[in-house]
Amino acid sequence: MSEIASELDSESSNERFARGSRLVDLLSKTGLSLAILAVILYGSFSSPAFFTTGNFLNILTSMSIIGIVVVGMTFVLVVGGLADLSVPATIACGAILSLGLQPVIGPVPAFVVAVALSGLIGSVNGVLVGYLGVNPIIATLGIGTIALGIVQAAVGGVIVYGANPESAEFVKGRLFGIPVVVLIFLAVAVIGHFILARSFWGRWTLATGGNYSAAEASAVPVKAVKAGAFVITAVAAGISGGLLGLTLQSARPLIGQGYEFSAITAVVVGGVSIMGGFGSVPRAIAGLIFVQLLTNVMVLDGVRTPIQGFVLGILIAGAVGMDSALRKRGVA
Amino acid sequence: MGKDLTLVREEIKPEMGSTDFALSMKGITKTFPGVKALSNVNFAVKFGTVHAVVGENGAGKSTLMKVLSGSYQPTSGTIEVGGTEARLRRPADAQALGIRMVHQELNLVPDLTVAENIYLGRMPGRWGFLDKNEMLQKATAVLQEQETAIDPQEILGNLSISQQQLVEIAKAYAANPRIIVLDEPTSSLSEHETAALFRILRKMRDAGIAIVYISHRLKEVLEIADEVTVLRDGSMIETRPIAGISASEMIQLMVGREVSNVFPKSPAKIGEPVLRVNSISDGANFRDVSFDVRAGEILGLIGLVGAGRTEVARAIFGLSGIVEGTLTLNGKDVVINSPAEAVKAGIAYVPEDRKGDGIIPGMSIRENISLPVLRSLTTFGWIRGKADRTLADQYVKQFSISPPDPERRVNLLSGGNQQKAVIAKWLAAKPSVLILDEPTRGVDVGAKAEIHNIIGQLVANGMAVVMISSELPEVLGVCDRIVVMRDGQASPPIDRQDLTEERIMALATGEEVA
Ligand SMILES: Nc1ncnc2c1ncn2[C@@H]1O[C@H](COP(=O)(O)OP(=O)(O)OP(=O)(O)O)[C@@H](O)[C@H]1O
Ligand SMILES: [Mg+2]
Repeated sequence: MSEIASELDSESSNERFARGSRLVDLLSKTGLSLAILAVILYGSFSSPAFFTTGNFLNILTSMSIIGIVVVGMTFVLVVGGLADLSVPATIACGAILSLGLQPVIGPVPAFVVAVALSGLIGSVNGVLVGYLGVNPIIATLGIGTIALGIVQAAVGGVIVYGANPESAEFVKGRLFGIPVVVLIFLAVAVIGHFILARSFWGRWTLATGGNYSAAEASAVPVKAVKAGAFVITAVAAGISGGLLGLTLQSARPLIGQGYEFSAITAVVVGGVSIMGGFGSVPRAIAGLIFVQLLTNVMVLDGVRTPIQGFVLGILIAGAVGMDSALRKRGVA
Repeated sequence: MGKDLTLVREEIKPEMGSTDFALSMKGITKTFPGVKALSNVNFAVKFGTVHAVVGENGAGKSTLMKVLSGSYQPTSGTIEVGGTEARLRRPADAQALGIRMVHQELNLVPDLTVAENIYLGRMPGRWGFLDKNEMLQKATAVLQEQETAIDPQEILGNLSISQQQLVEIAKAYAANPRIIVLDEPTSSLSEHETAALFRILRKMRDAGIAIVYISHRLKEVLEIADEVTVLRDGSMIETRPIAGISASEMIQLMVGREVSNVFPKSPAKIGEPVLRVNSISDGANFRDVSFDVRAGEILGLIGLVGAGRTEVARAIFGLSGIVEGTLTLNGKDVVINSPAEAVKAGIAYVPEDRKGDGIIPGMSIRENISLPVLRSLTTFGWIRGKADRTLADQYVKQFSISPPDPERRVNLLSGGNQQKAVIAKWLAAKPSVLILDEPTRGVDVGAKAEIHNIIGQLVANGMAVVMISSELPEVLGVCDRIVVMRDGQASPPIDRQDLTEERIMALATGEEVA
């Protein structure tokens, strides 16, 4: 453009393009924090047991195991992979293997092998979904069932018990007054966050979920990226399962039941889009904190389990509805 | 029977003379967070006229039309339709008043058939049961009236972009509108299809429909419009009858200055062939295509829509497969199976379908621009924030992307500015061969000259450029040699000096002219 024109441009742009008042943006970001605050306030009034260090440590610890899965599941949703339903099976594999292999190869190698084999489950999911285009729900459900069957057959028993008390002590212990499980969760969350927000892989994940064919045409290896999200989730679920096994010192095949649902709830309530292309680990964790606190308050208040489920269901429906409404307005 | 169907459209407001206003928008202001897209715009269209709206990218044309079609609520201002004030809270309100809009970006359902798309939301039938036959017959009639050879039973996703565009127009037309808004309808049409569209528009105009026509192609505006309104930076500059205005006057009103040469051709030194395409076929859309493009050269690839140009480009870039033939890059045979390999080899491709293949809508301009070269901006896998920002800043400036804010989400930009961002993205990859598929689609005159300037600089520095374009003046203006494709086959490259628009059309249609 000629100089006159660019001058004209910058002049007019000064009045036409103010810095955006990011009100909606702000609301969508702070909305969840406000909700969390509200639950804390309500909890403190409704139950004397709520606002205590003991209770918060409890929430934190139980949150950590599921939180690790949430970090992984965030990748699956962001990449546009809907959900990973093999999580319960992968958790069970992590738990069963990390305990079952202890007498054979020792506690630390057992844990590492457990996580690695969990990752393998994820790569099978990834190949099916990313490279062969199988529907993620069907692929992960099927692979989960198969994997669990294999692990059970290999271990040859229904319940596996721990054989190494020291490792159990370590996982249940504290470092600087913080439970070790919580520290591990924080480490996973920080790493997951940086990968998604700051690494090329994370940018590719967001791009693939945002517009698959444009990402492909921009030289993003979309198939690998999609597959990768399932590997990441499986590794996370493996770690989570291993820790769960060590904490409980026993592992049964159904140990991971319900974790997929809790993880998806947290991620969706955190405002990560089920349609892909949008979301972050901190958002998902905020969703998790909210759901956990709410559940805790309901438990302390003696709300019956079916009602609790009902409330969580409404929450998911609300979050998904909000997501598509915001998408339509081009805000989210 | 067929005749009946084509004549079912009723006369529109026959009692109204041609001076009656179909619509009148007064004092329309529309602000988005951070942008005043329209300020105090007055706009009125008469029944039975074609009213063109022109203006630079981001001037507010699409926004004004989205206000009219109920997609956006104006911040202030009133709208009168057929003389009575209307409140258009949602698109359905506008549709109920007979307003139909053909959007700049396609809004069709790729998995449905053409007929289903045309009647989407208004499927014929009784008591909730769909009358498939009736729908099919009606759709066939509408398409026939438009003189398009599109099968109404085809799945939409299998059509080319331009055919989809025609379906979009048929969809609006089939709804029997009183006011029809076309936002850059010809940006992906060939001359041939444009001429057919104009015949339909004239027919509609003579039936009393008010037509709003947005285009960056001023030649078309002069040809089809009765009146023209110029917008600049969100304000209405002037409305004038077309009889008293020339293209250069329009440009002057649009940009507030004169633009001399739209297709500047800076001479570049032409060197050795960089990319050689050796009789490639994809087994479906094209066969036995051969050409070479040399350093410092712009090779035009033209032909009617459906001739296979885009397919050739996609195959070279690794987006689709080649079953026969080879590619030679800088003297070496190369096999390219994916865009990632193409980028590594030094080939870049600016796609035709901006919304589908060009942008990641939820990402910022910055994130879009750096996507193909992201790996080179990382240390141990982490993106270097500063390198990322510097790259985006540079291209936002070089292309005068407006608003000049790299953090703005790319889908909130006007269409032309999105196109600039897509081109910038590929220049950032510093390719040795750049394939441009309709690079100036939806880009205003000023920006068009700018883009051609930039391409000119690139070839001057030794880049080889393949340009697909449906705009003949553009092709003849900037290309050194031209390959004409017809029905999946390509002519040998012909020197520009040996070609005229007529000669190209003859080659493209296969109708020899004397
Ligand atoms: N939903 C939105 N949110 C924020 N800004 C927007 C939105 N829609 C449009 N704008 C801004 O409003 C201005 C006018 O955009 P508009 O799309 O109307 O331009 P246009 O005249 O149609 O341009 P083009 O010729 O490039 O299509 C632009 O600066 C654009 O960035
Ligand atoms: Mg527009």
